[in-house]
Amino acid sequence: MALKKYFPVFVLPTLAAFTIAFAVPFILGLFLSFTEFTTVIDAQWVGIANYIRALSNDDFINALWFTVRFTVVSVVTVNVIAFALATLLTKGLKGTNIFRTAFFMPNLIGGIVLGYIWQLIINGVLRFFDVTITYDPKYGFWGLVILMNWQLIGYMMIIYIAGLQNIPTDLQDASKVDGASRLQTLRNVTIPLVMPSITICLFLTITNSFKLFDQNLALTAGAPSKQTAMLALDIYNTFYGRIGWEGVGQAKAVIFFAIVAVISFIQLALTRRREVEQ
Amino acid sequence: MKRITAVLLSLAVVLTLAACGKKDDNSDMNAPKAGTVYFLNFKPEVADIYKEIAAEYKKEKGVDVKVVTAASNTYETTLKSEIAKADAPTIFQINGPVGYKAWAGYCEDLSDTKLYSYLTDKNLAVRSGNGVYGIPYVVEGYGIIYNDAIMRKYFALKDKAVSISKATDIKDFETLKAVVEDMTKHKKELGIDGVFASTSMGSGEQWRWTNHLASVPVYYEMKDESDDSTIVSTLGKKEIGFEYSKNFRNIFDLYLNNSVTAKGLLSGKSVDNAMAEFALGKAAMVQNGNWAWEQISGVSGNTVKAEDIKYLPIYTGAEGEEKQGLCIGTENYLAINKNASAEDKKASVEFLEWLFSSEKGKDYVVNKLKFISPFNTFKDDEMPADPLAKEILSWMKKDVNNLEWTFNSFPGQQFKDDFGNALLEYVQGSKDWSHVESAFRTSWKNER
Amino acid sequence: MSAKEKTMLIRTLLYIILTVLAVAFLSPVFIVFLNSFKGKLFISESPFSLPDKDTFAGLENYFSGLEKTGFFSAFGWSVFITVFSVIAIVLFTSMTAWYIVRVKNRFTKALYYIFVFSMIVPFQMVMFTMTKTAGELGLDTPWGIVVIYLGFGAGLAVFMFCGFLKSVPLEIEEAAMIDGCNPVQTFFMVVFPVLKPTAITVAILNAMWIWNDYLLPYLLIGSEYKTIPVAVQYLRGGYGSVDMGALMAMLVLSVIPIIVFYLFCQKYIIKGIVAGAVKG
Repeated sequence: MALKKYFPVFVLPTLAAFTIAFAVPFILGLFLSFTEFTTVIDAQWVGIANYIRALSNDDFINALWFTVRFTVVSVVTVNVIAFALATLLTKGLKGTNIFRTAFFMPNLIGGIVLGYIWQLIINGVLRFFDVTITYDPKYGFWGLVILMNWQLIGYMMIIYIAGLQNIPTDLQDASKVDGASRLQTLRNVTIPLVMPSITICLFLTITNSFKLFDQNLALTAGAPSKQTAMLALDIYNTFYGRIGWEGVGQAKAVIFFAIVAVISFIQLALTRRREVEQ
Repeated sequence: MKRITAVLLSLAVVLTLAACGKKDDNSDMNAPKAGTVYFLNFKPEVADIYKEIAAEYKKEKGVDVKVVTAASNTYETTLKSEIAKADAPTIFQINGPVGYKAWAGYCEDLSDTKLYSYLTDKNLAVRSGNGVYGIPYVVEGYGIIYNDAIMRKYFALKDKAVSISKATDIKDFETLKAVVEDMTKHKKELGIDGVFASTSMGSGEQWRWTNHLASVPVYYEMKDESDDSTIVSTLGKKEIGFEYSKNFRNIFDLYLNNSVTAKGLLSGKSVDNAMAEFALGKAAMVQNGNWAWEQISGVSGNTVKAEDIKYLPIYTGAEGEEKQGLCIGTENYLAINKNASAEDKKASVEFLEWLFSSEKGKDYVVNKLKFISPFNTFKDDEMPADPLAKEILSWMKKDVNNLEWTFNSFPGQQFKDDFGNALLEYVQGSKDWSHVESAFRTSWKNER
Repeated sequence: MSAKEKTMLIRTLLYIILTVLAVAFLSPVFIVFLNSFKGKLFISESPFSLPDKDTFAGLENYFSGLEKTGFFSAFGWSVFITVFSVIAIVLFTSMTAWYIVRVKNRFTKALYYIFVFSMIVPFQMVMFTMTKTAGELGLDTPWGIVVIYLGFGAGLAVFMFCGFLKSVPLEIEEAAMIDGCNPVQTFFMVVFPVLKPTAITVAILNAMWIWNDYLLPYLLIGSEYKTIPVAVQYLRGGYGSVDMGALMAMLVLSVIPIIVFYLFCQKYIIKGIVAGAVKG
């Protein structure tokens, strides 16, 4: 086929940019995680020393734990609320579009801007108790959860609405005729049918929560005492904030990548299995 | 035919891509001849003035000067990411011997430059062996700034609890404490919300305590051990006792307990807030240095008069502090990037020499940057005329023991952050003072 | 209560709940808007009160914010980088995807999996090395960052285009080829028009990402060319200390273009999100 010869036109530009922006940096990053360096040229092989330092670093463990807790709480709250809203908005009420517009809007605002908006609001509320968000890591934690909900609920709601609209109404009607209760219909008819949307939303909320950076930086920047620093922020701080810790920062990044990859593969496997079943 | 089209098209695509990656052509063309300057500025408060200076220099000498200013408390971060670039800073700043240790691989020996020869006191430079690697460009001082109008009002009170009658009579911590606590009792009559402006504890806003205030107790600790320059002896300390921790706490508690702001809210306060409170007459005192003048004078609704702004040393209750003066020194040393091209290095040194010796450059330094300059190219009358700088200059001439900036030899930013975090937890009441002490000692040991 | 009355009651209740929620969703932005008109010292003192004659500062915050951040230039760079990156991504990755789908061999298959793999790698993994590589190649300019965004956005875009292309029948393309079109002509005249819905989705997802991205432009070009997020973050500390007034004003200014864009392109954005999610 003639197309094959057109490789330089069709593939080369993307591939070149991809190599520069991703492939080379990725391999270099893997390599550097086993070395000590300040710039790339002076890298010296140190084996797994960086990984040992990373894993015995309290900040990192704390950030990992904080991120996991945050992810679990956000995923549950975001999805439950988004699903509930989607159900309300598919009841055939008039004016649903306006509500949909309102709920979705925060999603378009960038993380840095969102962080500062919520910092103002949360500090404003906490002022009644004469404290601020950095007073206690709990405040930072719940502040981030609220922010995440505010940002992602609209997004997930849209996906759930699309999923719900795809359910043939006669199926639901049929189950009503069969005398199923509301809850039974939800559990036995609706949820299995919107399962694809649920998987997608779970995946999106998990990865978004896990990789959160901008919002974290703007809202608390890790205060107090780095106790509200999530993984991405901790890696950034290790890398750019401490001289002599570059290799450790890179090692932390590789561990971070590995965790995200595992989550993604589990997700992929689950999707595959589901597709087979159908 | 098809093949030719394909080749042509792919060529076009690759060329566009290549063009995308190309830098501004002019700078590339000029580079070998004139050299360009890239100055990574440390002082955010004068960022715009440096831009003016760069434009002026370009007009006069035709040399491009790029000025980039790092956000507060991110200088090391920014320097690290910038210096890794192909187009790296040619002039950057180190904060003294500790900074030199971290960046030694990038610091050019400046001993043969005119800039070094301008230095009035050659001992101020950062050296290593026979080389000179950092040149201070400004002398600064800090202490407790007070508003004498409020102080006079206090001393005129009939029921004041102290026997002294003017602020300059405060010569030790005990007197300061008595005055401050009595002022707090009378704050309604004095029309203030608190004696001290907010002890700013926001992230990136803690340097007045972690650097400046902590310098005082460590100074005394070092002086107990030897008579050497405390900057030199601190540098060698692998571990620190923090023996004068009680003194740090004395003054720090005084700030907190007589503050404009409740303790729980201090983590939301910035240095800017504190300076504004002082400028608006809500507070009578604030600890800061002479660089803060703009932050006082620039506040709209400013009620404090220039002639009422005075300095008081930071008394902590240490022995012999009656003779203590302000903390005078610098943490601003210029360094030239060793790895820059020869032309760029030459252009960079020339730019600095112009700034600190030509009439026009000096005018910027004195009147816009408001630097008290350590160079002999500046005559006695070529000093900034703002009240804080004038106070610093007059304290330099007094018969007192002005303290060095011992904190120049503190471990890096991580230590200061750890210490600041512990202070914040102490301020908020979640940890007690012993936690601050142990954080200070442990982090010092780890980060040294 | 009749059945009709009952439905009415439920409906009213639903509307009330939804309205309360909608107000709750929109109020943070509104509160920031109010505060942007207060003097900078009053903002953290009483963020929930309306500006009054003591606290009202007019447009002062806007002027100081515009001056400090160079907002207009930041806006310009954000537009520039977003527009050109999105164009580059849509154009080049759709071409690549077509090649991958139509030229089936071991090489294109491997290429496809490498692109997909890149989607799951977090930015921190390549944060430093990418900045370094791009810097060495002189790509630390607004034009250069377009190349980086093309490379970094390629994964998702190729994946989505491939997914769609697999379901596009070969017949029309073959017909065009027989009519004497070369592959480039075929692609632009026949294939690309078919790809339009996916192209819009890809464009929207990438525009949202690039417009709001902070760390990549900050590390790569932040010292010289500030995009809006970088300028906003720089306000915090860039001038010695945070100026709440200017911060509020800049938050408002950065949200306004997004809201305007959203209200005009709502239909496409929501469709794009749904399509992107289903495939992603």
